[in-house]
Amino acid sequence: MKRFKWVPVLLILMLVLSGCNGFTKGGSGAEEVEAEGDKVTLDFWTFWGSEIRRPIIEQIIEDFNNSQDEIEVKHTFIPWGDIWTKELAAIAAGDPPDVVINDINATALRGKNQQAENLSKYLEEDDISGDFYEELWNATLYEGDSYGIPFNTDTRVLFYNKDAFEEAGLDPEQPPKTWDELREYADKLDVKNGDKYERIGFYPLFGVGTDVWMMNADNVNFIDENSEVQVNTPAKLQTLEWLKSWHDKYGENNINSWKAQMESQQANPFFSGDLAMLVQQPTFYTQIRDYAPDLNFGVALLPEKEPGNGHTSWGGGFVAEIPYGAENPDASWEFIKYLTGKEAQEYWAVKNFDNVANVEASESAASSDEFDDNGKMVYELAVEAMPQTMLTPVPLAAPDFTTLVNPEFDNVYLGKKTPEQAMKDAQAAVEKLIEQNAN
Amino acid sequence: MAGKRRFNYKTKEGLQGYLFILPWIIGFIVFTAGPLLFSFAASFTNYNVTSQMDFIGLSNYEKLFSGDQLFWTSLYNTLYYVLFSVPLTTAGAILLSALLNRDIPGMRLFRTIYYLPAVLSGVGVYLLWMQLLEPGTGMVNTVLAWFGIQGPNWLFDPEWTKPALIFMKLWSVGGGMLLYLASMQGISKSLYEAAEIDGANAWQQFTRITIPMITPVIFFDIVTSLIGGFQIFQEAYVMSNGEGGPVNSMLFYNLYMWQKAFEAFDMGYAMAMSWILFVIVFALTIVNLKLAPKWVHYEGGGK
Repeated sequence: MKRFKWVPVLLILMLVLSGCNGFTKGGSGAEEVEAEGDKVTLDFWTFWGSEIRRPIIEQIIEDFNNSQDEIEVKHTFIPWGDIWTKELAAIAAGDPPDVVINDINATALRGKNQQAENLSKYLEEDDISGDFYEELWNATLYEGDSYGIPFNTDTRVLFYNKDAFEEAGLDPEQPPKTWDELREYADKLDVKNGDKYERIGFYPLFGVGTDVWMMNADNVNFIDENSEVQVNTPAKLQTLEWLKSWHDKYGENNINSWKAQMESQQANPFFSGDLAMLVQQPTFYTQIRDYAPDLNFGVALLPEKEPGNGHTSWGGGFVAEIPYGAENPDASWEFIKYLTGKEAQEYWAVKNFDNVANVEASESAASSDEFDDNGKMVYELAVEAMPQTMLTPVPLAAPDFTTLVNPEFDNVYLGKKTPEQAMKDAQAAVEKLIEQNAN
Repeated sequence: MAGKRRFNYKTKEGLQGYLFILPWIIGFIVFTAGPLLFSFAASFTNYNVTSQMDFIGLSNYEKLFSGDQLFWTSLYNTLYYVLFSVPLTTAGAILLSALLNRDIPGMRLFRTIYYLPAVLSGVGVYLLWMQLLEPGTGMVNTVLAWFGIQGPNWLFDPEWTKPALIFMKLWSVGGGMLLYLASMQGISKSLYEAAEIDGANAWQQFTRITIPMITPVIFFDIVTSLIGGFQIFQEAYVMSNGEGGPVNSMLFYNLYMWQKAFEAFDMGYAMAMSWILFVIVFALTIVNLKLAPKWVHYEGGGK
């Protein structure tokens, strides 16, 4: 038996060595970007894995791959919940992907933290900044340099039920233009049976949050570009009071029961006519098309607080960026330029019914033959809303301030604080956070 | 075989032993101890994963204790959750296993049914519960309405969000039940027979025989679910969209830590938070271990 005594040791050594193999595999990113012939291979991460979006982005990638013979892009789908934490780990490990789709609102923060590559050297040669909506472009800047190129975006518009308008004696071609009209129309559109509502005219917090109406009223983010806290402003306070009055009008129970129905897509009360007006993203149209094709509806810009205040809407979006330390930034840039160029953008816009960042593509998509009449109507309005759509980029001084602000709004709706008190407390809490972060 | 006589038998055996556990030791050092020490060191810095890591002394800890209101909120939420969920799930699991520890036909089926929820886990279950807890149309409130009870707004009412989570946790006591059941079946029948002869009723048998005999498992369950309870994250992350729910009532410690780490990229701060949690859990576990001899009964008596 003596001669077998090293067998277990050998086995263990094998185990250990095979364990180490795991390291070498993950560590050598160079292998992944291995040249096939002379081609550079790029790894492109997106969270678009749905049966609608995936084929569209993959078609765009294929078109790019066929359009030239130096770069080969490979698509890696990573679920929404994982993609950016994985990316962060990959950047820290020095082996990031080549192009990633990321949240536009935190682009400056990623620039500051060196998570994304500075794109200004490419922009100097090839200035494409003018191709995009200004608000989107500005959101990508940190100290004047861009760290990501806007890809897609969205906005919020008012959908309304034309049949309900006629029933209530309102002109279906005249949607409400101001907050006062909104309230007046909603009162007319409400249908009550005793104490119970059968139709709710409008509730501003279905579909969007308190912040959207505050942007609509004030046109200023909670923390402005000079790191000044703009939470407790007169316009925002009035907004909160206004929203609270809607909450009181319908009451917690009605609101919850409508909200619950809204969460299951097909049973959305807007489709059944139990809700006459609703603020949503333009892509909401695709749900109407699929689940309520006979609905007679119209769309309008978000009503303004008072005449002349502006129909400011709110949106978000995504950028294509090069993670810091990517192997082939020049090739990545070429691909990003294609992604955000007119052709790819228009294809994405038309196939997805999604708003895109490229102005020219956006405008030409609006007249696309692929949309039906309703589709055209919605898309045209969305394009009209885009220049009046605000983004709320993550403030560098306090990236996570919303955890302090939102609970205060909740407190108001729950009747635990007056709007004045809540706004005062929110302002103080955010100021304190900024002060702390400064140290 | 030149080195044949270099080690005596004992050293050689010891070395071989280490060699055998080497894979674990390497794994522990590389994947557990290393990151642990790193996070301790980095908790004294402004580490943000990518661009900065400057020593800032105790500043992170100072901020946490002196000025961060959400730190206290999240700690309160977590303690609330642990304080209610640990005793309730433990008691629930014991009761359930006592019920399922009987000889009636079809018992296997019941055991399977009660264990089933423990098998299902993760996001799917949370989404299911979000539907069940829907205030207007959800099953829970519908059933309550049959008895004339107007159910609360569960996940929308800050007073009810944590009870809702604890309620949800109770659904899966089957996992603990399995441990208790196994331990109860190991109790010698002779003890019960003797008690019966002495005239003890079922309740007396349960409290004087069953409970003392399963205290080692109760102890194990309390320690592990206490630690698990402090780590609550997923439930709140899924059910509040990562935001912490109405009035931050579901902002648990780990959720807040996650927000600091991956939304604000203040990783140093998050690491400081994780060490505070570590100290809390460590202290509680020590207390548990110290108290254990007073109530945990190990058969054989020796320690």
